Amino acid sequence: MFQNYIKTALRNLMRHKLYSAINIAGLAVGLAAFILISLFVHDEFSWDTHWSRGEDIYRVENTYTREGEVQIRSPHAVDPLKDIFLDTFPETEAVTRYLSFDVGLRLGGEMYGQTVLFADHNFAEFFGLRFLEGNPDTAMADVTGVVLSERTARKFFGDTPALGRTITMHLRDGDHDFHVSGVTENPRRDSVVQHDFLVPFSRSYFEGQRWFTEDWRFAARVMYVRLAPGANADAIRAQFPGIVDRYLPKGQDSTETGRNWSVAISMLPISEAHLYGNSAQGDAKLLYGFLGVACLILLIAVVNFLNLSMARTAHRAREVAVRKVLGAARGQIIQQFLGESILLALVALVVALALVEVALPYYNAFLATFLDMDLLHEPILALLCLFLGIGVGLGAGSFQALYFAMLKPRNVLYSSSASDNGTGRLRQVLVVVQFSISIALMIIAFFVNKQTQFAQALDLGFNADNLVVVNRTNNAQSETFKRRLLESPYITAVGRSSDVPTEGSEDRMLVRTIGGDSEVTIDGLPTGPDFFKVYQIPMLAGRALTTGEADTVRKRGEDGAYRQAGNIVVNAMAAERLGFASPEAAIGHMFSLNISSDVRLDATIVGVAADFHFDSARDVIRPGIYYVDQYRWADMTVRYDGAHREAALAEIAAAWREIYPDAIFEYRVMTELVERQYRTDARLGTVLTSFTLLAIGISAMGLYGLASFTAERRTREIGIRKVLGARLMDIVGLFLWQFSKPILVANLIAWPAAFLFLRDWLQGFAYRVDIGLLPFVATALVALLIGWATVAGRALMVARANPIKALRYE
Amino acid sequence: MLKLHNLSKVYRTDEVETVALNSVNVEIETGEFVAIMGPSGCGKSTLLNIIGMLDSPSSGNYFFMDEDVAGYSEAKLGNIRKQHIGFIFQSFNLIDELTVAENIELALLYHNIPASERRDRVARVMDKVGIAHRAKHMPSQLSGGQQQRVAVARAVVGDQAMILADEPTGNLDSAHGQEVMEMLQALNEEGTTIVMVTHSPAHADYARRTINLFDGHVVTENLRAAV
Repeated sequence: MFQNYIKTALRNLMRHKLYSAINIAGLAVGLAAFILISLFVHDEFSWDTHWSRGEDIYRVENTYTREGEVQIRSPHAVDPLKDIFLDTFPETEAVTRYLSFDVGLRLGGEMYGQTVLFADHNFAEFFGLRFLEGNPDTAMADVTGVVLSERTARKFFGDTPALGRTITMHLRDGDHDFHVSGVTENPRRDSVVQHDFLVPFSRSYFEGQRWFTEDWRFAARVMYVRLAPGANADAIRAQFPGIVDRYLPKGQDSTETGRNWSVAISMLPISEAHLYGNSAQGDAKLLYGFLGVACLILLIAVVNFLNLSMARTAHRAREVAVRKVLGAARGQIIQQFLGESILLALVALVVALALVEVALPYYNAFLATFLDMDLLHEPILALLCLFLGIGVGLGAGSFQALYFAMLKPRNVLYSSSASDNGTGRLRQVLVVVQFSISIALMIIAFFVNKQTQFAQALDLGFNADNLVVVNRTNNAQSETFKRRLLESPYITAVGRSSDVPTEGSEDRMLVRTIGGDSEVTIDGLPTGPDFFKVYQIPMLAGRALTTGEADTVRKRGEDGAYRQAGNIVVNAMAAERLGFASPEAAIGHMFSLNISSDVRLDATIVGVAADFHFDSARDVIRPGIYYVDQYRWADMTVRYDGAHREAALAEIAAAWREIYPDAIFEYRVMTELVERQYRTDARLGTVLTSFTLLAIGISAMGLYGLASFTAERRTREIGIRKVLGARLMDIVGLFLWQFSKPILVANLIAWPAAFLFLRDWLQGFAYRVDIGLLPFVATALVALLIGWATVAGRALMVARANPIKALRYE
Repeated sequence: MLKLHNLSKVYRTDEVETVALNSVNVEIETGEFVAIMGPSGCGKSTLLNIIGMLDSPSSGNYFFMDEDVAGYSEAKLGNIRKQHIGFIFQSFNLIDELTVAENIELALLYHNIPASERRDRVARVMDKVGIAHRAKHMPSQLSGGQQQRVAVARAVVGDQAMILADEPTGNLDSAHGQEVMEMLQALNEEGTTIVMVTHSPAHADYARRTINLFDGHVVTENLRAAV
């Protein structure tokens, strides 16, 4: 019996090669797209699921709130929480913490930059790290030991054993020698815990660092807790507000503790940290969006399949009728056609898997990830693929199977013409569905790309070209380094600041307006007097800051004390917010400024700078106050001559080696920082564009197939029309119109859907493009043109055919 | 074999009501060869369809082997049909994608017969209708007469007691037509009941009895003298 089904199915496929090719190709492309997207989404959702007892491991995080300001969501937890957890929650089995910090290493005369995890002694035991060298029990016990990952050990020591070898680490309190006490397996790519270089934590390394506190002011360490199996995490979470109430100091001293800010504690499973944690790298919403698009593409492909099969019902109806006359029961007919479509779907699946295999390297390169699909070693994945194929086959074949099961043989066996069998309307609906999705995707892709281009072309207010930002210049040699750089003919300007554009400022200052009736929040940015020059930000009124004493708020060599009074610069928006009618009006204004909570400065505005983007271009420009604080010059921005980039970079590196022989030279490129802000959106645009092309391609394939069958079916009608005097163009027009209707209707559905989505999406941008009507109309035209181009060939062929041929056989 | 009592068939669309058969009374004995004749649209095919259980009567009784099947479900009718009734059509209705042997075998596929037995029976019946040398050919490679012989083979391969033939010679030239009629006659002589719709008086002569239909009524029944 099955042999017979398969024979019929295969011979049918071979007889109608075009139909089969379109059907399988469409489905294969749809499946391939679906599999590729699902692989990525699944990968993103399966981070950190590999730890033993991972379901009991949680990350504890802190979120800082200060009235009227943006929350600071830290992936870290404050130090006191460790003991609080151990004391308050008996479910807590263990707590481990680490501080991630970039350190310079010296090894055999070479210097390396390395991200080091200064971890609690139980780190290796907590995560159950597997040791390749060394003793897991003692490796972290010795404060001078370091535990490397296999790849780090290989990087530093090649194939020779690493155990016992010495590495010198340049720390704040001087150089320290460490010896390798263990080598573990590499951390997994899909983990938020990248333990390449573990050093037992010691607070002495961080003594005197402004940001390192062991109280509630600053969360510096990542903290994981392991709860007893079956512990109720929600019950623990419910106690967090009470814990903050009880333990957070209430500002009885001058150290700004808990006075006008608060902390919220949160705790999430380690497996959710990648997507839902504070400062998460992934974006679950975007992933669901991708998955949605993947399903839409698969839907288009299935609809295609359904549509093409329906078009062929007339042909196969005779076979079904004969089978029924010969005794086939309904169930057997259903079996046959479901089997057939499952077979087709499985063939398409095999093609799709091949496509995925070919596409994966490019896909990985694009997404900057390392997805793979090893069906032989992942039987579950193989099984899922199989289910997918069978599911798609069932979905796509069920309608046809049911239709045939209900078919009355009497209706078919006595008519010699292939009738439409009432499936025509359904087929039109299916084409409408396909094109609705395609058109909506087209419109959305257009606007996403337009918005990205718009944002990239946005005037940032400063010149980002030919700038590099050198890290770690917050020290006494900074001035020497600057002078040395300016000696180079290739370097045109050098400026200093605590942070640089695109990174935003975390300093918020409350300032009373000139009317005195309200307060406004203004971002503070410690800069050097040279900051505006290097970024080429013009002054609208007054003058720029200078090295003069009156322009300096804090000076090196004065024990880090702020002065009582000083000159400052504001941007145009700050001047406006403060209540000045024009930038000029602000010059000379004196007011009291809280540089930090307990430091008050009598500030005088000496200059008003043009507005520029300091945060992401996604956000609005914020009002800003700029002042000279020599203790907060972490970044040195260098402008070089664009024609001599390499030479300039070489000079910077040489100057660095000279001035900072013990430190690693690292820099960021400003254009890359700017570009990075748009990367997600740009990538979204590219992904959407490719998906859209796929969707259109599959839809067009389906339309072509349909046109072919319609042409077959309507030859007689067209023959009659021609005999009655219709011209070639009349016939072609007739044909084009038939296929234009569903595309036009599809626009009616796609437009509002796309509009609603876009309106929502664009809300996320402070500066956004308008949703004009023109792109919608243009998309409709493009869709029509694609439809026509697809159908035209067939239409011409039919129109040219000799009418007698068509009529004689009736 | 079968008995139709006061059997009527009415087709209804939204506006029109067409009476295809009007109180028809027909009895066919086992082993008979009956021809049904009449002008186009007189209800011949409807009558044949009801006898073949491809259609149900609007009213009246249909006794098949002493069982009133008039109200049976489609599935039940399908079971009786596949046990007892074979069909031959004017347009052959062979499946284009299957070979001659496979087309014939199709009639056995739905009967739970083991593959080896199916092969034997198909081979035997192909010999009988003289089509064995074309076993592996596709229907499109055969002449009309050969195709109809395949159809006849398919109708009888399951040892059906009754064959319903709807203008079996309508698409054939006279030589091939006669060939098919002789085949049917031979089958009848072996005991198969045959009911045939035809336009050709010459071919109707092969039957022992002719039922004439006009506007849904049985007009006359002629019994031909035994040869």
